[in-house]
Amino acid sequence: MIPINAVFGLGLLLFFIGLFGVLFRKNLVIMLMSLELLLNGINVLFAGFSHALRSPRGAIFALFVILMAVSEAAVGFALVLSFFRSKKTYDVDEMNELKG
Amino acid sequence: MITLAVFAFFAALALVSAVMVVAQKNAMRSVLYLAFTVLATAGVFLSLQAEYLAAIQVLVYGGGIVVLYIFVIIIVNLKEVRPERRKTFPKLFIVVLPALLLVQIVNVLFTNQATPPAGSETGLAFRTMAEMLFTNYLAPFELASILLLAVLIGAVIIARRRLVNDPD
Repeated sequence: MIPINAVFGLGLLLFFIGLFGVLFRKNLVIMLMSLELLLNGINVLFAGFSHALRSPRGAIFALFVILMAVSEAAVGFALVLSFFRSKKTYDVDEMNELKG
Repeated sequence: MITLAVFAFFAALALVSAVMVVAQKNAMRSVLYLAFTVLATAGVFLSLQAEYLAAIQVLVYGGGIVVLYIFVIIIVNLKEVRPERRKTFPKLFIVVLPALLLVQIVNVLFTNQATPPAGSETGLAFRTMAEMLFTNYLAPFELASILLLAVLIGAVIIARRRLVNDPD
């Protein structure tokens, strides 16, 4: 039996490593990867509580979170490609104008 | 006991490689550590008896998203490594704010311990999950397909190459 606190700690740590990556890095692609880490941490929390409460609802919700992560990655990368074509850079500090 | 050992192994692997994803300078190495994190998380799901979730994690994340990242890095050509400098105040803000949030959440959630209810048998988890997904959660499941279709069309439209003398 896995203690719920251990799962909880793992999910939170993954979430906060990802949050730190999103806030701290300036490379657009690595920021998107950290976003995936955030969603992974949340999924670990969902699976852990689903296991602890003996209910499949958590696993079902984690499934929808994965679906959303896929959508986010696809659209995010389309935006990164579009941005890179117009600016030839991937530094978020260059994203400082509204009209491209 | 063996489940706990498996969980601890995959949890440690996931955490170390997650730190490496954020800490790596080279984006391609970062992607490979992301693949490690994703597969280790699938192992964590297996030790939590969420087999379906582990399979989806390996297929969708390991097979789909990581490959997408690698392709984008090849297209965008992230070879040169640029130093990332920030001023002290934003740096302080970035480090302190998540740390405070983490402390607060840990404090709240570890002070009131909830005891899990006495559960049913564990072998039927997959079956009950499938039944619940296709009865109670049928509407979100179908809506997710519309979301994926919208993403497919939207990503193609956003990422297409615009020609100079495009009639549109």
